[in-house]
Amino acid sequence: MNATLNGRRFDEVAVGEQLPEVALPLTVYRLVMAAGSNRDFNSIHHNTEYARSTGAEEMYANTSFLMSSWERLIRDWCGDTGRIRAIRGFRMRSFNYVGTTMRVLGEVVATRVEDGADGPVGVVEVAVRCEGPKGTTVGPGTVEVLLPVDTSQSEEKA
Amino acid sequence: MSSTGATSADWTAEWQEVIDAIGRDFLDGATTWGGDPVERGAIRRYLEPLELDSPLHTDVDVARAAGHEDVTMPATGVIAWTIPAAWQPGQVLFDSDARDAQPVQTAINNQDLGIGPKTTGFFGTDIELDFDREVVAGEHLGRRGKRLVACKPKETGVGRGAFMTWESEIVSRPAGVVDAEPEVVGRIRIGTYAYVPHQKEEQ
Repeated sequence: MNATLNGRRFDEVAVGEQLPEVALPLTVYRLVMAAGSNRDFNSIHHNTEYARSTGAEEMYANTSFLMSSWERLIRDWCGDTGRIRAIRGFRMRSFNYVGTTMRVLGEVVATRVEDGADGPVGVVEVAVRCEGPKGTTVGPGTVEVLLPVDTSQSEEKA
Repeated sequence: MSSTGATSADWTAEWQEVIDAIGRDFLDGATTWGGDPVERGAIRRYLEPLELDSPLHTDVDVARAAGHEDVTMPATGVIAWTIPAAWQPGQVLFDSDARDAQPVQTAINNQDLGIGPKTTGFFGTDIELDFDREVVAGEHLGRRGKRLVACKPKETGVGRGAFMTWESEIVSRPAGVVDAEPEVVGRIRIGTYAYVPHQKEEQ
């Protein structure tokens, strides 16, 4: 079976582009599902009493879930053609508490073409952050995404 | 190991031996392997709480069209798939029926450094990841080494402790081939804050 890849190409991307926002309600149910799937069973992420005993106000989303929310944002935007090469500046500034909705936001901040093993490859830097009710909770950091290049336009874009 | 000394004015001095250990690989180059290989079912479960909808992770035909041998692991899954098994046959993991009792051992909570103050609070602060290539179902991932690259004592709203940064290589071998030479597929830097929680009256 020949499957088709649906996704962005480098020449379709422009600096300043805003990625479609991802909104993730942080319920107990979701945090428990996340813990079960990403294996971070630290009680601060699913047990209110325990989380409060460590100085937090409530249980809060775990690191893997937060980082993978950045991947959700990127994958929703770039589709099947993109590859995440690096994540930088993923800094957790405040807890993402249960009972809130976390928004994941991104903006294209840089583009360039590099020589890859199989020819030119587009490199897109996306500034990403998470926001809660009181502002930015994670980041802003940068996700570096590789996209295929239309070689007929690569010199112009570079 | 020294006592916590959390109420002393010079509490940061207890962290000096940890600061002095910057550059040390606390695992001496050993690899800590994930509890399970990357496999399709676990990938699917990883996607569920994220509602992450990409056939690269679920449809082997699409994954192959993209040049992969099998469905790909979400890139951020390197954290989950390098966490060791929580339990081994013969071990007792739960020895108390107290509501909030913790397991006897845990693969992810704060690990005793063997030096510096004893801390009871712990959370991640920041992460950097580099991916040399994508990982697919059928690979088994691990973290090689655990080098301390930074340690800064600081009092925060939740307690007194230190921000530390740890660096490891992400390595892969085919599932079930334990003697295969590990291949480096990425690198990870993890920032943590290990601390002694404030007493309620101090908050």
